[in-house]
Amino acid sequence: MKHTTRMMDIVQRSLDGPIKDEEDFNNKSISQGLARVVKEYDIQINKDQIVNMDDELADRVWEAAVDFLASSGVYCQSTGRVILHSREEIEEKLKHAPDNVWIGAGTDAVHEVYRKVEDPRRMLLMGSAIGTAIEEEYYIPSLISYVQEPEVDVTMAPTLEKIYGYDIRTRSPLEIMSSWREAELTLEAMRRAGRPGMAFTGLGTSISDVGQLSADGPGGLRNTDLHTFGIISELKTNFEILNKLTHILYRDGIVDPYANPIYGGLGGGMESQAVLITAAMIALNVVFMATCVGSSPTHPFNFNDTGKEVMIPSSLSFQALARNSHLLTNLTITAVGGPGTKTILYECVAFTVMNTVSGGSRILGPRTATGTVTGHFSGLEARFTGELLRAASKLNRGQAEEIVQKAYEKYEDDLNKQPYGKHFKDVYDLKTIQPTDEWLKMYDEVKNEVAGWGLSFD
Amino acid sequence: MTDQYVNLGEAIKKGDVETGVSESLLLVERGVKPIEIFSECIEPTLAVIGDQFSRLEIFLPEMINSAEVVKAIQNEFKPLMEADQETISKGKIVIATVSGDLHDIGKNIVKAMLEVNGFEVNDLGVDVETKTILKSARDADADIIALSALMIPSLPFVKDVIDFIEANEEARSRFKVMVGGGPVNREWADEAGADGYGDDAIEAVDVAYRLIDAPA
Ligand code: B12
Repeated sequence: MKHTTRMMDIVQRSLDGPIKDEEDFNNKSISQGLARVVKEYDIQINKDQIVNMDDELADRVWEAAVDFLASSGVYCQSTGRVILHSREEIEEKLKHAPDNVWIGAGTDAVHEVYRKVEDPRRMLLMGSAIGTAIEEEYYIPSLISYVQEPEVDVTMAPTLEKIYGYDIRTRSPLEIMSSWREAELTLEAMRRAGRPGMAFTGLGTSISDVGQLSADGPGGLRNTDLHTFGIISELKTNFEILNKLTHILYRDGIVDPYANPIYGGLGGGMESQAVLITAAMIALNVVFMATCVGSSPTHPFNFNDTGKEVMIPSSLSFQALARNSHLLTNLTITAVGGPGTKTILYECVAFTVMNTVSGGSRILGPRTATGTVTGHFSGLEARFTGELLRAASKLNRGQAEEIVQKAYEKYEDDLNKQPYGKHFKDVYDLKTIQPTDEWLKMYDEVKNEVAGWGLSFD
Repeated sequence: MTDQYVNLGEAIKKGDVETGVSESLLLVERGVKPIEIFSECIEPTLAVIGDQFSRLEIFLPEMINSAEVVKAIQNEFKPLMEADQETISKGKIVIATVSGDLHDIGKNIVKAMLEVNGFEVNDLGVDVETKTILKSARDADADIIALSALMIPSLPFVKDVIDFIEANEEARSRFKVMVGGGPVNREWADEAGADGYGDDAIEAVDVAYRLIDAPA
């Protein structure tokens, strides 16, 4: 539950909490704290298997995460203090976390619900390249390519590469203009696609608090939309982030933040990553009053989350969350492949199937070509992901594991080859906003192939 | 590496500061010169550690701990070898994520890799203003300014640093600028007038070596 009393409490904790040097927080609270609980709770992962099958292990990861979070807290860079919650406080707050929420307005509204491990209900799809940049001229057509897809439930806009031809600069009038422009163009694209009430996550192009909040209100981001912000990895915040949250509360917006732990970074290897992802999702609710909590754990050299090193802890962590809380959780597919490659399609298969059987309420993406290549995304990958969500919800973990492994074999060797594919304009007909025959053919081929692996698209 | 260095090498790998320092002092007592300890043991050990991280056989915390051991040894040796300092340090680097940008993981990895490769790195943190970057580079007497930017709206601030240096003859003769991070690529870096670009932390080290050797 979110309210201003709780907000005041968080702000006061950030002002009164224990003083700590940031490097100490990084090295002792995070790295050593994780190492401690991994040992104490005997977290050992079978690295041959991508989808977790061990319920007891998932429960130990949960216990480890709560223990770890109660000792580390969340570091506030603006005050140099730690926002601490005891184990009892964490558990009490989680009891009041929402287990469902309506997102969007009118006939475009969708219901996001808490899902269990192997839950037969389809996850929601936020069909989007999740903030990847694109040139202004392709902004609306590229966005329509997503929102016109029936499989897409909610969306997030791409980010603008420039504003009226000029470079965008954070914390300048250019950022505020780009923030308004993003809202304006996104609402326009949804109107044109005939889905004006669909929720979108915002705002992506603007980065600072003033940039984001300027267009969060009448004419811009609506309270039925998803209001996002990222906390700083690992488990850190600042007043800019808390400013965003405070405004969202008064707006009665849906709080939809995320935390992206980095594999091999301060959080270390797979075991500690599983604990860290879990703790970060808990913190998003306990400290930031999130309605929905999300993550896109990232590989430090390939910048994706479709490799084994990241999918394994993600599966385990999401099962820990689904078995021990009723949080509304989401993961982002951040893939190396781009449009016009089969790589991206296989990555969608592996990740979507892994996530579906591991719990999780909504999937985001796919963020293609790691989200860092201007314009390399298209609506067809999202259509495929939506179809996969439906097919995967009929599977148990054993069946899922087989499919995930088969798909993984298909792209494993591409992971460090940057198969970034093509620009939107080269895989879609810009007049009809439909995929080119060549791109459609690839999609058909992969869909047929994976149907043979036991994914039923009927 | 000869037998006498086994314990020191192990201490660095394990991130054991105490043993690292006591072992290196023991070696000095036995008559080994600090500079030899660096070139014959510390540098090769760190190279192995950097390599292991680039294959993700070890992770950032381990790499940071190893760098901590070496920093402690460096401090211990300082009075013994003022004259040799220059030879130990490969060069001084000031690193920062530019204004408005809070992404620091890439920068931290680059920093750790540079440190284990013998560079002296002064980390200014994230969201650092152009003025502060330039002032700190002067104060630290840096050879290289390394800038990280992860978002397109942060790119103008990278360009600002380069432009400010370009506009000032003294700064131009003192500092090389290397850049990296998500939206930065070779083409952008060339166009912006950066002296070097690195795709990842591994390349960052190669670029730093190249820039240190290049004439100003
Ligand atoms: C983790 C992450 C975050 C974390 C950052 C935590 C932290 N402590 O750094 C959090 C959650 C805070 C975050 C927040 C935001 N993020 Co972010 N984030 C990412 C993500 C997923 C991974 C970045 C990362 O750390 N990669 C791993 C590291 C190791 O890679 P790297 O930084 O590139 O560094 C390597 C190389 O580039 C190189 N390198 C890096 N620096 C340097 C410097 C030199 C000199 C050299 C030689 C080399 C070099 O070496 C490194 C090691 O190999 C990316 C998407 C992606 N897949 O990359 C988005 C991404 C960068 N974020 C993005 C956005 C939009 C945001 C937000 C604005 C979202 C929002 N609306 O709130 C905020 C902005 C906050 C702010 N003010 O900065 C966008 C940027 C899009 C754009 N317009 O350019 C991206 C691309 C995602 C996307 N498609 O939307 N984010």
